[in-house]
Amino acid sequence: MREKTKALRTLIYLVPFGLAVASLWFGTVRIPLLDVFKTLLSPLVPSWKAALPAGYVDIVFGIRLPRIILALAAGSALSISGASLQALFKNPLVNEYILGLSSGAGFGAALSLVFLPHFPPQLLAFAFAIVAVLLVLSIASRSESPAVSLLLTGVIISAFFTALLSLVELFASPYSLQALFYWLMGNLSLAGWAQILPSLPVILAGSLILFRMRWRLNVLSMSDDEARSLGIHVRREKFLVVVLAALVTSAAVSTAGIIGWIGLIVPHLVRMMFGAENRRVLPLSAALGASFLLAADDATRSLASFEVPVGIFTSLIGIPLFILLLRRSSKVWL
Amino acid sequence: MRIEVRDLRFRRARFELAIPSLSIEPGRLTAVVGPNGAGKTTLLKCLAGLLPAHPGSIVLDGQDLAALSAAARARRLAFVPQEHASAFNYAVRDFILMGRAPYLGLFASPAAEDEARAAEALAFIGLPEYADRPFFEMSSGERRLILIARALAQDTPALLLDEPTTFLDPRHESEVMHLLVRLVAERGKTVLVTLHNLDMAARFADILVVLKSGSIAACGPPGQVLNEELLTRVYEIPMRILAHEGRTFIVR
Repeated sequence: MREKTKALRTLIYLVPFGLAVASLWFGTVRIPLLDVFKTLLSPLVPSWKAALPAGYVDIVFGIRLPRIILALAAGSALSISGASLQALFKNPLVNEYILGLSSGAGFGAALSLVFLPHFPPQLLAFAFAIVAVLLVLSIASRSESPAVSLLLTGVIISAFFTALLSLVELFASPYSLQALFYWLMGNLSLAGWAQILPSLPVILAGSLILFRMRWRLNVLSMSDDEARSLGIHVRREKFLVVVLAALVTSAAVSTAGIIGWIGLIVPHLVRMMFGAENRRVLPLSAALGASFLLAADDATRSLASFEVPVGIFTSLIGIPLFILLLRRSSKVWL
Repeated sequence: MRIEVRDLRFRRARFELAIPSLSIEPGRLTAVVGPNGAGKTTLLKCLAGLLPAHPGSIVLDGQDLAALSAAARARRLAFVPQEHASAFNYAVRDFILMGRAPYLGLFASPAAEDEARAAEALAFIGLPEYADRPFFEMSSGERRLILIARALAQDTPALLLDEPTTFLDPRHESEVMHLLVRLVAERGKTVLVTLHNLDMAARFADILVVLKSGSIAACGPPGQVLNEELLTRVYEIPMRILAHEGRTFIVR
């Protein structure tokens, strides 16, 4: 049994790399696998560059690579922040949506896209993600039953920001409306280097800090009194995790759009398979989330003659998968 | 480590805890008893730093509790809550390992030495074979023992336990009490425990603190402190003390 879990764990860590290579390879323009490798190494070997058909470099480096990197980064960012927030709020139902993070970030990014087209959307996305989550926390913390009121307040604040978002849509020009619409459904096809470069360092740094806190999250998932008696400065550390999760989520959302369910489903899958220990849950969620979004994106660009926004796809695939696993799993993991 | 209480006051809506002076000695098992709402848990939580106490009102070996950082406090005092409720089902080993948190920084993960401490704590409570089992599969008696093991992994000179025997069957109840006696005798720990079972308190405690409506009604060795008049006054029902084969039984 133990050998089997170990092998499965190794597999989950290896899949993103294999998928990344496969994703470079397929697409509407068929490039032979060997030529993909040659293109990747062509900056180092000038003679290969000359021998390759024109356009390969542009397709691999200009179009496919940034999209793959964004899929990996956004998938792991959403999963790692979902896992951290679930531990922090001692509630496996918490995700970026429930805390209002996604809708806050969505509204901020939309505002930026429509009214400040030359301004990076990440800034407003982050600002409103923080505003939304602080609103949820400040309203919910005054209640007698924090778990229930957290969920309720989250739903309300999300609805509020969704309404604000509709207002932005109403004032948007038809051209920016279409772009906004595609982006809202979760879309990686618009990603070029210019779009992803401002987000990558934020996602990387935020995820890395959350990853370093992975064991601490175990202790933070105890009741507040228990965590305090174990020597944790609960308020300060909770705030740190919320800010990091907001940073990472808003950076992902502002470039990839609103991609549903990954932050909820991926950490659950990992816990079902490997238990609740966050030293395993965080890195495995990051790897599985990265693979999940990349595979979903590959599917959207190869299944139909037109591209289905990946956000629709992750929900359509993710939810039935989740229900299936929920029904088959006899283990108590919550 | 000696815990000294000097003029501790804690006020809540219709309740006030007022302890002018109390000293909890190392190497002794001190039990706090009293009716519901007498302030047992409040006292314990003040001592554990979970409820705010005035600076200078709780002193640990000459050091003011209020002046200590959360981690420094948790290296001196371990608190064992009555119940543990979590949404996540950790393995027993990982659960006990959390007791090492006061020694580990924000970004640190436990090292081999911490694992060894946790394993030793699990062996002390006599459940070494449970390391890989999920916490939620444990019975309520085993869960109490595991909570105590986590406090042991914290490696503190003092342990504060909130009603560790409530809802346990007689066998597990005595198991927990024997464990506390061993902690005092073998490790010289300062142990403060709140109890509802007066027979257990009379049998195992070195010092008894009887609370009533937020103040101390009596304090001292059970043999000297316990009498029918005191118990009847504190619990507000007639109570009798019977001696049988050298042991004390309290009946109502």
